[in-house]
Amino acid sequence: MITPNQNESRKLFRAIATDIHFWIPLCVLVAGLVLLDKLR
Amino acid sequence: MSTTQTPMLATRLRSLQALGIFCGFAAGAWLGGAEAPIKLVNPDISPITVSLIMVCGVFLARWSVPAFIRGTSHVRNDVRQAPHLIVWAVLAGCMWAVANTLTIYAIRNVGLSIAFPLWNTNSLLGIFWGFLLFNELHYAGWKRWLGVIGGAICMFAGATLLAIASSHEAAPGKAALGIFAALGAGILWGTMYIPYRKAYLTGMNPLSFITFFTVGEVVTMTLLALGYRGATPLWHELTSARDVLFWLMLGGFVWVLGDLFQQYATKYVGISRGIPLSNTNQLWGLLWGVLVFHELRGASQSVYVQVAGGSILMALGAVAIALSSATAREHSSWQDAADREGARYGVEGEYVRAGMEGREYESGSTRRTLIDWILILGTTALFAPLAAIAKFPHMDIGLGWAIALSVAMLSLLATCGIALWRTTRFR
Repeated sequence: MITPNQNESRKLFRAIATDIHFWIPLCVLVAGLVLLDKLR
Repeated sequence: MSTTQTPMLATRLRSLQALGIFCGFAAGAWLGGAEAPIKLVNPDISPITVSLIMVCGVFLARWSVPAFIRGTSHVRNDVRQAPHLIVWAVLAGCMWAVANTLTIYAIRNVGLSIAFPLWNTNSLLGIFWGFLLFNELHYAGWKRWLGVIGGAICMFAGATLLAIASSHEAAPGKAALGIFAALGAGILWGTMYIPYRKAYLTGMNPLSFITFFTVGEVVTMTLLALGYRGATPLWHELTSARDVLFWLMLGGFVWVLGDLFQQYATKYVGISRGIPLSNTNQLWGLLWGVLVFHELRGASQSVYVQVAGGSILMALGAVAIALSSATAREHSSWQDAADREGARYGVEGEYVRAGMEGREYESGSTRRTLIDWILILGTTALFAPLAAIAKFPHMDIGLGWAIALSVAMLSLLATCGIALWRTTRFR
């Protein structure tokens, strides 16, 4: 059975996962880490 | 315009815009001043280790300064209202650490003259994201567009001239890598302002945001330092650098005060104006370098012409941006973006509105708790012994100018701090 807290967490997770404002910085961060690895 | 919110009073909007612009200039002074303690450090220490020690100072400051100003109970209240922003704060901290490390490689490979203007493009990217994602400069009119874009380009040109004048020689054969590193740092920093703006549109207090931001910073920097240096060599380097730990951590502490003003500038005038104004830090860094550390002593006349020209261009660009504050119509489109954020994450409308208007959401207790005092005293207890064992290097330093610049910075800290307190109670 899903408790109200779990339901809230799921909603929050879904809101973040579908937010372009999250994916743009994350993709840039990953690209930055890849670049840093190439520069070592 | 949003149908759920009434527009902010024109007088309140004007005072918040003026406050944000003032914060942008104060940020420039303190971010630039943070370079001074670092100049006292022996260049033999590896850049990664320097960066890690600075981030330790930053971490301490990011927890103790909010505890000192408002107490950490406000952090808990903010997290209760908008828990999703912890994700963005940590993400922004990770981005900052990677960008900062990239700048080290950029300076090493192409020198400051090429690297600095390249990563300074972050403000242009910030303007782009502000326009695209957060409705900044919407309905602003062509004069304000010209002021912001023209000002940012003017500052970019000024930064280029200053960087050329104060440059080191580039290492031959690694130019492409250095340019990629500098551009990468600019893109990371420019994109890092997405989380900043998101947090402040939603109503989060900058003092709360930075406490989670720094977790991302310190974890990423520690992992990078361990990965690049190895645990044992890193430990040896840290212990052998104990004489200068204080200066580096002080640099981090000073930097946090500048960054805090930058966060308030971002909150009240947006990233399109706040970030270019904070980039005046290059002028302050130059003042410290030239007047206190005599960096241009014996330089040719053309160098002085470049410095004067670059400084004037940067100052003109900053003035143009400062005079292009948001109108009521533009501000209403910011409110639309804030509404959208509130609806998406189920944040209370009154919390979002109070944050945008810089006023208190709940009249809860403002007393400091035991945790706050532990944070303040713990940070002091860590800094005091490091100051006691720190050694002042034998350098030719313009002490009079150092005092004058420190007084100017402290005056800005006091006046801007008082203005923030009177206008927003540090909201």
